[in-house]
This record gives sequence, structure tokens and C-alpha cells, in this order.
Amino acid sequence: MSTEPESEQSVSGAVQEQFTRLRINKRARQVFGLFALVVFGWLFSLALGQVGFSIAEIMEYWPDFRDALGQFFPPGEIFGIPFVDTGAYWSFIQQNNLLFELQTNGAGVAFWNWTFVPGQMFITLAMGFAGTVLGLPGALLLGVLGSERVTPYPFNFIFRGTMSVIRAIPALVWALIYIPLGGVTPFTATLAIGTDTMGNLGRLFTDALEEVEDGPIEAIGSTGASGPQRVVFGMLSQVFSPFIAWTMYILEINTRIAVTMGLIGGGGLGYVLQVQRGLFKYTNMMATILVIFVLVISVEVVSQRVRAYIRGTEESQGLIALIVEFPQRMVRTLWQ
Amino acid sequence: MIEVSNLSKSYGEIQAVDDVSFTIPDGEFVVVLGESGAGKSTLLRCLNGITEPTEGSITINGDPVQGPRDDVAMVFQQHYLIEEMSAYNNALTGALGRTSFFNSLLGRYPEEDKYEALRALETVGLLEESGQSVGQMSGGQQQRVGIARALVQKPNLLLADEPVASLDPASAEQVMAYIRAAADERGLSTLASLHQVNIAREFGERFLGMKDGEVIFDGYRDDLTVDVIDEIYGTIETEAIRTEAEA
Repeated sequence: MSTEPESEQSVSGAVQEQFTRLRINKRARQVFGLFALVVFGWLFSLALGQVGFSIAEIMEYWPDFRDALGQFFPPGEIFGIPFVDTGAYWSFIQQNNLLFELQTNGAGVAFWNWTFVPGQMFITLAMGFAGTVLGLPGALLLGVLGSERVTPYPFNFIFRGTMSVIRAIPALVWALIYIPLGGVTPFTATLAIGTDTMGNLGRLFTDALEEVEDGPIEAIGSTGASGPQRVVFGMLSQVFSPFIAWTMYILEINTRIAVTMGLIGGGGLGYVLQVQRGLFKYTNMMATILVIFVLVISVEVVSQRVRAYIRGTEESQGLIALIVEFPQRMVRTLWQ
Repeated sequence: MIEVSNLSKSYGEIQAVDDVSFTIPDGEFVVVLGESGAGKSTLLRCLNGITEPTEGSITINGDPVQGPRDDVAMVFQQHYLIEEMSAYNNALTGALGRTSFFNSLLGRYPEEDKYEALRALETVGLLEESGQSVGQMSGGQQQRVGIARALVQKPNLLLADEPVASLDPASAEQVMAYIRAAADERGLSTLASLHQVNIAREFGERFLGMKDGEVIFDGYRDDLTVDVIDEIYGTIETEAIRTEAEA
């Protein structure tokens, strides 16, 4: 055994024994690691076989994909420098009213002598927003009742279970279920997003309630408050900010889901994307994807700003603070 | 008048409060002294109705305590306020017991209670700060909001469980002074547990000394001698340690 210490006399029997034991443990871990790696590799190859993964296919169709890429990013130039043809994107965006239009006459929201005609982007945004708002009361009810501190142990699983069932079915599948109710429309998509919100947001609410402190609940109880008052003032008031933050987070997710809803015909940007793919108009597809990008990022930025403002940790949340606190300042100046 | 007779509370094997009886006339300021684990908290919690006694009874003006009630108010060691709400709204939660669920949900408290909340905040010197959120206040200020909440309950009995244990000495003095002032102003019977003997001596009127769940001393300031304190706290050896260190 070459790894043994050279001068065995200087080491006590106990040390020698421990040394051997550690070495055996290490060997055992190595053998187990190798075995795990083999099993993992086998499962991965099984999965690849199951989905029909083949490098040969990628090689064969690469030229087609390269052509498509050429259409996704049509060559053009800006100030003489070669770049993608942004004009091609812009003309599609404008023709199909993906963003919004300002008209002098037409149906829409009027201000001064202009009319604001919301584009496809706003249909997608509306699905996400309305779906979140519709799902919110259900999420609140299920989420609060699912907490062990509100509903005693075995019974809270009725509500937790309901939320699990809702979550187990993806939003797209909920849309398929609701099609007999509202047809393949943005309305159906909104119902599906609302249902999905009840499951997801409700679960987040339940989790937030687990972290509530006992002290304030006890204190509210000691004032002679009733059971429902204890729940509202002792528990919910502690998680007011986290609840708003989680709702904003779900709004971000729902906006993305609203895009995918279009793919099954639910309307909005996703639907435009689906139609253009059917027509093999890759340039138009990329124009739509750019608008999706702008929409999703905008919602995320607003949501994150609002969450930071609620946490109140960052002082320099200039714009949101300015907007939110404006009515307060206004009222104060009018009152005094 | 508060009457406690043969009160006992045990948690399994542990006898937290052991056959305690005493009577507090209206308006008396009582300080409960004792080491940690002597049963002070359990006694106060029984008086508040949060904890159910194993044996014995508590009556307030002849009315037995059978659960939390709005005429018994408690100030907690860790303030236990809702940190996200303003001082004013926290004080108003003291009026929950006499407000219906829907009115409290909508914030529709009677005008009288709103004034009561502001009056309580004035008593503890926080009228100016009443719109501030409690999370941004100092420990001493938070504890004063806790006192205000208790006062809004318009209690017959004010309880304070180690109200100054987690405060610095200056804030501790200030908070105790506010509790004493509020009690005097409103003629409240008060029971405060403390373990700082100097603060207890300064603010207390009558003293209950507890050890191992039993009341081993019940008397007024003149009776509270060094020997009595030694008996309550065991022999305090700080003096000996200091002399040793200096030698």
C-alpha cells in the first residue's frame, strides 16, 4: 500500500484506523458516483431516442434554416453600414397595427382630436392584465384558506388540493377546456389565465402566510378582536407588501402566457406570429417577436420598479415614487 | 378591583405558576419582579386570558376572565405591532374588539375611536409621528405605540410583559415613565413585569416578587429591602466578581 504514511510508528492505532476508514469511504463514494453517471447517461440517451433526436437531421436541414435566418434578419443598411433591414420590420408593425395608432377619426379612446387605437400588443397585455385581476380574488380566497394557520390541519388541504389540481393543468390546456364556453377568442384565453392565476398566485400567498410572525397575531387577539379580525389585521396586514409583489410577478408571467395563448388562436401578438409562420413570412415573424420582446420587458421593468417601491428599500425609485405620491401631495396642498 | 385566587398553571411537568393569590385595588401600579422563568409572563398571560389557567380564578370587577377581552390590555416585550402600518393604524387596532368585522375591514371606525387613538398617541408623545410607519421607528418609539394600542382598548387593567427588556437604558426609563404617566392619567390598574430592580424601584408602587412560580413577596416600596431582592433573585454575585477582578 503506497498511500500509507512512511513512518507507521509515529502514528497511533486509532489514527491509522480512521485513515483506512476514510479511504474506504472515499472509494465507496467514487464507485457510487460512477454508477450514478452511467445510469444518468443511459436515461439521457433513452430520452433522446424517444424524441427522435438526430444530428444527421440538423445537418440535412441546415441550409433551409440558414435561408430562414436570412429572412428573419433581412439584410439592409443604416447610414451605409450593413445591418438588418429595420424598415421591413417597421412597415409590418405599422401595417398590422402591432403597437397602436393615432387616428383623427375612428373607434378607440379619444383625447383632444386624436383617437388612440390600441394594437395587437394591447390585446395581449389586456389578456394578461385582465386574467390576473380576474384570478386575484380566487387566489386570495384559496391562498388564505389553504394556510394551516387559518384553516385547521386536515381541512386546509381541501384548498391546497384545489390549487394543486389547477396548477397541474397548464394555462394552455385550460384554454382548450374553455373553448366550448367562449370559442377560440381572447376572452377564452383570459378565462384560462385567470384560472391559472388562482392556482399559482394562491400557492404563493399560502407560502407567504407561512412566514408570518405569531406575536402580532397574538397581540391582535389580546385586544379582544374576533377570529376574522385576527386573520385580517394580525396575519394579512403582515403580508400586504409580499402579496402585491407576488401579484406583480404573476402579472409578468401572465403576459408571457398571453403571448402563447395567441398561438392556439387566442388573438393578440401570438396569433399574428402563428399566422405569419403559416405564411412562411419569417421577416414578419421576427417583427412580431421584437414587439413581444418590447412588451414583456416593459411589463417586467414596471413590475420590478413597483416591487422595489413597495419594499421601500431603494430611495431612488424616482419615477414610480413621483407618480404614486403625486395625488397625496396634490390633496395636501389643496386641503391646507 | 382585580382578584386572583389560587391561580396555578402547569405545562406538563413544569409548574409555571403555583397557587398564587392577590388582590389589586383600582388604580394601583404593581411591578412583578423575578428572574427569567419565575412565572411572571405566565401570570400576565393568564390575567390577559391568552393562556388558560390549570386551576384557580381571576375576576376583574367581579367579572371572571375566560379569554382575551378588550378591557384587559397587554404591552408585549417585542411590541408585536404590524410594522407595515402607521402608528395611528396600529393604535386603532386597539378598538377592534368594539368594531364589527366589516367596518374594521373598511377602516370605518367611529369618530370617537379615531380621536381616542390620537389621544393615546399624544399621551405617549407620538402625536407628531402618528402617520409614520412603525417599521421605521426606533425600539423605544415602537414600544410607545404598543402602549398607545393598549390604551385605545380603554382597559380596566393594563398589563406589561417585560416592556423595556429589549431597550437601551435611556429608552427603558422613558417608556416606563410613559406607562406610569398613562396609568396615572387614566386611573388604570397596572401590572408590569420587570427584571431591572432599579427601574422597578423608581416606577413601582407595590411589588410582587416571584420565584419558581410562587409569590414570595408582596409589599410596598418601603418593604422592598436589599434582603428581599436577594431572596427574589438569589444572591447576586456581581459585587463579589467585581471585587475579585479588582484584587
